[in-house]
Amino acid sequence: MKKDINSNGHIFLYATILIVVVAVLLAATALWLQPFQDRNKKNEKRINILTAAGIPEVSAKNAAWLFEKHCTASFLLDENGNPTDNDEGLPVFVIDRQTSVIPMQGNGLWGPIWGYLAIAADGKTVVGATFGHKSETPGLGGEITTEKFQGQFAGKQVMGNGKPIPIEFDAITGATKTSNGVKEMIDNTLEKYSAYLKKFAERGE
Amino acid sequence: MANAKKLIIEPLRKTNPVTVLVLGICSCLAVTAQLKPALVMGASVTVVTALSNFIISLLRKGIPNRIRIIVQLVVVATLVILIDQFLKAFAYDVSKQLSVYVGLIITNCIIMGRLEAFALSHGPWESFLDGLGNGLGYSLILVIVAFFRELLGSGTLLGYQVIPQSFYEAGYMNNGLMILPPMALIVVGIIIWIQRTRNPEMQENNQN
Repeated sequence: MKKDINSNGHIFLYATILIVVVAVLLAATALWLQPFQDRNKKNEKRINILTAAGIPEVSAKNAAWLFEKHCTASFLLDENGNPTDNDEGLPVFVIDRQTSVIPMQGNGLWGPIWGYLAIAADGKTVVGATFGHKSETPGLGGEITTEKFQGQFAGKQVMGNGKPIPIEFDAITGATKTSNGVKEMIDNTLEKYSAYLKKFAERGE
Repeated sequence: MANAKKLIIEPLRKTNPVTVLVLGICSCLAVTAQLKPALVMGASVTVVTALSNFIISLLRKGIPNRIRIIVQLVVVATLVILIDQFLKAFAYDVSKQLSVYVGLIITNCIIMGRLEAFALSHGPWESFLDGLGNGLGYSLILVIVAFFRELLGSGTLLGYQVIPQSFYEAGYMNNGLMILPPMALIVVGIIIWIQRTRNPEMQENNQN
């Protein structure tokens, strides 16, 4: 007896089996690969922090080791810019006892963008910056991850008279929205961290 | 064997999915500002088209007609997510490159088009080759478009500077228009024009 593959019963059965098989397959794969993906994400973060701080030739292989070696302290800040033991606050990573690396979050054209800004021990000179994005257009907004774009931030002054100076940089042609997003992200982050950065200048004087 | 060769070669030329069937134009605009993303996108679509064609062809005798589009969509989406997960775990750099394409792969009309037009009525091996051919045909156009857009728009190829500095000093300027999406359409249009001029049999007869 040949079964009618277009009967309602068969359609329901077929759809149910297909969905269950696919769901099990996807769930199993996700569980199995989770540890590998987490490790990659963690390394990615370390690479970005170290690269922003000017440590050369960081790769996925040596990231964990280099991070251990160079990251001398990491803490959270309260609203007055002092290290706090609370669970919430603004994170800071200190590299080689002098460079403060601060994480940034913002919005690009299509989705979130993020990055790390490394600031020297004087509290106002940028050592370097790295950026990442979820879904900016490759070749346009996606260019923010290139060395060419990131390289221009080193040496810029971001604090003056205890106030953040709005950042200026060469935007990307054809990616106005992403470039604006980067500017907004940096300015917002500096505003939030100004209490912390101000302290360096006061100490120096 | 001649048949297999035909299945792969034909989509590169006379049945090209982009210039003849005019499918996959949306992603063609999005990823051709530079050569490298175009290569990555071409490779991903080729893999997905070939594999989904193969799987749907295996299932084709059992798929109820009324839900076949949904079944195709589920298979394609599953495949893309699986590949994405594997890349995230074992080839993180490639996966970062692909981030935005994953969605674009699923919505690429070429994949569903080939499933409907070919895989549902042909055997698995033939379908696999057809998918491979169409993926390559798509990649070919992508690479050609990206080549001109990156060369004229940024003066680079694969990120390397190819237009010498002396040109710029003599007053040459990159064409900013090439970076913007409309130029992809115009370049594709020019390719279609050239292709049709060289193959008169492809021109529709408009003298009614």
